Amino acid sequence: MSVKYRVCNNCIMDTTDPEIKFDDKGVCDHCNNFYSNILPNWKPGPEGENELMKIVAKIKEEGKDKDYDCLMGISGGVDSSYMAYLAKVKLGLRPLIFHIDAGWNSQQAVNNIERIIDSLNLDLHTEVINWEEMKDLQAAFFKAQVCHVDTPQDHAFQAAMWNFAAKNGFKYILNGGNISSECVREPLEWHYHASDLRQINDIHAKFGTRPLKSFPLASIFKYRIYYKYVKGISVIKPLDYIPFEKEKAMQFLEKEFGWQRYAQKHYESRFTRFYEGYWMPKKFGFDIRLAHYSSLILTNQMSREEALKKVSVLPYDEEAIKEDFEYVATKLGFTVEEFKEIMNGNNKTYRDYKNSMGFIEMGMKVMRFIGGERKLIR
Amino acid sequence: MISIVDYGLGNLKAFANIYKRLNINAEFVKTSEQLNSAQKIILPGVGAFDHAMEELNKSGMREKLDELVLVKKVPVIGICVGMQMLGKRSDEGKLDGLGWVDADIIKFDTNLIKQKPRLPHMGWNDVHPIGNNPLFQDLETNSIFYFLHSYYFSCKNPEDAIAKSEYGLEFTCAVNHENIYGVQFHPEKSHQYGIQLLKNFANL
Amino acid sequence: MLRPRIIPCLLIKDNGLVKTVQFKDHKYVGDPINAVKIFNEKEVDEIIIVDIDATVYNREPDYKLIEALAAECRMPLCYGGGVKTVEQAQKIFSLGVEKVSISSEAVLNPNLLTEIGNRVGSQSIVVVLDVKKSKSGNYEIWTHKATKNTGKDPVEFAKEVERLGAGEVVINSIDADGMMKGYDMELIDKIRNAINLPLTVLGGAGTLKDIGSLISKYKVVGAAAGSLFVFKGVFKAVLINYPKPSEKAALLSENL
Repeated sequence: MSVKYRVCNNCIMDTTDPEIKFDDKGVCDHCNNFYSNILPNWKPGPEGENELMKIVAKIKEEGKDKDYDCLMGISGGVDSSYMAYLAKVKLGLRPLIFHIDAGWNSQQAVNNIERIIDSLNLDLHTEVINWEEMKDLQAAFFKAQVCHVDTPQDHAFQAAMWNFAAKNGFKYILNGGNISSECVREPLEWHYHASDLRQINDIHAKFGTRPLKSFPLASIFKYRIYYKYVKGISVIKPLDYIPFEKEKAMQFLEKEFGWQRYAQKHYESRFTRFYEGYWMPKKFGFDIRLAHYSSLILTNQMSREEALKKVSVLPYDEEAIKEDFEYVATKLGFTVEEFKEIMNGNNKTYRDYKNSMGFIEMGMKVMRFIGGERKLIR
Repeated sequence: MISIVDYGLGNLKAFANIYKRLNINAEFVKTSEQLNSAQKIILPGVGAFDHAMEELNKSGMREKLDELVLVKKVPVIGICVGMQMLGKRSDEGKLDGLGWVDADIIKFDTNLIKQKPRLPHMGWNDVHPIGNNPLFQDLETNSIFYFLHSYYFSCKNPEDAIAKSEYGLEFTCAVNHENIYGVQFHPEKSHQYGIQLLKNFANL
Repeated sequence: MLRPRIIPCLLIKDNGLVKTVQFKDHKYVGDPINAVKIFNEKEVDEIIIVDIDATVYNREPDYKLIEALAAECRMPLCYGGGVKTVEQAQKIFSLGVEKVSISSEAVLNPNLLTEIGNRVGSQSIVVVLDVKKSKSGNYEIWTHKATKNTGKDPVEFAKEVERLGAGEVVINSIDADGMMKGYDMELIDKIRNAINLPLTVLGGAGTLKDIGSLISKYKVVGAAAGSLFVFKGVFKAVLINYPKPSEKAALLSENL
C-alpha cells in the first residue's frame, strides 16, 4: 500500500517518514512536538546560562577532590570541539577528554582533537576498538541489508563511554548533542536505536564471522537504567543552554585553535558521508538531510526555501561516489562487485531481526511520562 | 594515456596509484607493441646506471622508444636514474646513455659536502624552477621533493636546465629539451608537490 | 637545503598496529591502513612499517597488506619483517615499496644484502640493528624480536653491512623502545663514527625536543619514532600525530 507523497508546510519532513502525521494546517508532528514539548523548555540565553551555571557548580562541588570532575567525548567534529572550549574556558570545569577510535578517523578529525587538547591543555584517554571486530560487525550489518549500518559505531561510542565512566567513577558525562541542530530526530525507520543490543547480537550471529571479544557493548538496560539510576551517571548537554550556531562555532574554532573544517559535509568520516549520502538515500529512499535541515528551520538557522533548494540536489556527487564506494567496500573487505550486489539486494528493516523494540517503547513511554524525554522518537 | 615503461626497475605502482586517484589513464608497457599507442611516456629508474641501461636495452623496447621520442616527438619524462639515462654517459658506469639530451652524469664531489653520510643525497630538498616551464606550473615557490642519488645531471646546453637544487653545489635537478623531460627527484614519492608535477606532465 | 628525515615507525602484529615497550607488552593501536592513510595526509617524510611476527613465526610477508599500505603512501615506504630471499624482496618492491629492511636475516645470511643490491641497487636495502646493552655495559645485537642474543658488536657489524652493500642502517635501541625518555645518543655516536652510510635512529624519542637534539648533533639523519607519533599525553592515549609544518620548520631552524 503506497502512501501519497506529502511534505510538511513548516519544515521539510515528508512521507518517507512512514509514521509522519499532519495536523489540519499541514504541519507535521515533528514540528508540533517541537513547539509543544521542546521549545518551552529550551532557553539558550541568560536563563539557560543561569541554569547551566547551577549544574556546573554542582559538578564542580561533587568533583572537587578528584582529578577530573566530568568526562567528555570528543570526535574532532564541531560540536564536541566547541564543547571542550566551553567546558574548560567558559565554565571552568576539569574534564577528562575521551575519544573512541573506530578505525575510520580522518586526518582532520585527528588533527582537530590534537589542536583542542594541546591548546586547552586537556588530558586525553582513547579507546581503540579492535578494527577486525569493527570491520566484521559493520560488514555484517551491510550483509543484513538494513538501513542502520552506522549502529556498530554508534553503539560502540556510547557503550565505551558509559562503560569507562562507570568503571572510573565519573558522575557526569558532557555530551555535545544539541537541540539547535538535532531537535528533529530521524525516524526509527531511517535510524533505528543503536542501543538495541539484541539487534546487534542477532545480526552478528547471522552475518558475523568472528566473535566480539573486546568490542564495547552495553544493553539498554545497562546504560539507560543501571548506569543512570544505580551508578548515578548524568548526561549534561551544555550546548543546549547557550546560543549555539554551528557556522559561528566553526569559524571561532578555526581562528582560535587551527581547527580544520572538513572539505565537505561529513568528511569527518568517510563512512558517514557514504552512509548518509548514498546508502540511505539510494538504497532506501531516506534523505537524512530532511531531518537535519528541518531542525535548522525550527531553530531559525535556515529558511524552508533554502532547505528545499538544498535537498533538490542529490546528496552525492556521481564522480566522488565511485571513489567512496570503492573505498568503503575495500575497507570492509568486500570487492566492488560484492558491495554492488549488497547495494542492489532486498531491503530489510530492524523488524526482520530480533529486537527489543517493545521494551524500548515501553521505556520511552515511561520517560515521557516522567518528563525525561522530549524529542519525538518513533 | 600515460605509458609507464616497465623494464624491471622503479616504483611503477606508485605512479599508477597517483594517476588512478587523479582519474588519469595510465598503464604499464612491457613491449614495443604496447608502446605504439603511447601518448606520453614515463621512464622510471632506480639503482646503478649500467644495470638500468642494460635492462632497458634488453627489454625489447629500446628501438621503439628512440623512434617515439626522437622522431615522433612523444613527450617523455625520465625519473631519477631514468633521467640520468637520458644523457650520453655517466661517471657511474661504462655503458652509453640514451643520448636524447646532451649531458654527462657526474658524481657529487664529497669534498663539498660537510657532514655524513655525504652520499647518497637522500631526503627532502628544495627545488627551484627556472623559467616558466609548464612542468613546474603551480610549483614555483617552496617546493620540496624527495631525492635519492649520488650522481647528477650536467647539461651541455644550459637552457635545458629547468630546475636547480643544492647539495654541496648547485646542480640541475630537472631538464627539458623539446619533448624530453627529466627529474632527478621522485615525484611519485613527494606528496602534493609530486602529484602536481605528475599532473602537469599529463596535461602537457 | 637537504633536510633531516622525521619518520614514523609502525609495528604490525596479527594485522593490527601495536606499540611495545622494550619489545614487550604489545598495546593494540588500531588499523594499520587507516594509520598510514592519516600519516600520508600529514605529509610525513618517510614511513617504516615492520611486521614484528613474520620472522619469529617463520611467515611469508603479508603481500596483500603491504600492497594496501603502499597504495596509501605518497612518500617513501620502508617495509621489514620476514624477508629472507631476493624473490621476496623483489615482490615487495613490485608492490610499490621503496625500501626493504632486513634485520634477523642480515645476521643469519649477510650475503642476502649483496644479492638484493645486485638486483635493485643498494639504495633500496635497509639493515635494522636491534641493539641492547649487556650487563657489562657492551652493546650487542639481538634478533627475533629481542629473544636471541647474537653477541655481535653493532659497530663492527654496521661496518660489515656497509661493506656488503647496505643502503642505510637503522639503529633500534631495545632498551629505549617505548620508554620515551630520549634516544640513546651514546650508541648513535659509536655507529655514526664508524660508517659513512645514511643512518636512521629509532627507540626512545619522547618529545620533539629529542628529535631536535638528534638533528642538532648529526644534521643529516633519520629520526624515527613510534610512541611519539602514536600516543598523546600522560595516559598515552592513542592519537596519530606528527609535527605540523610550522613545528618542523622551527625544529630545523633551531637545530641546523
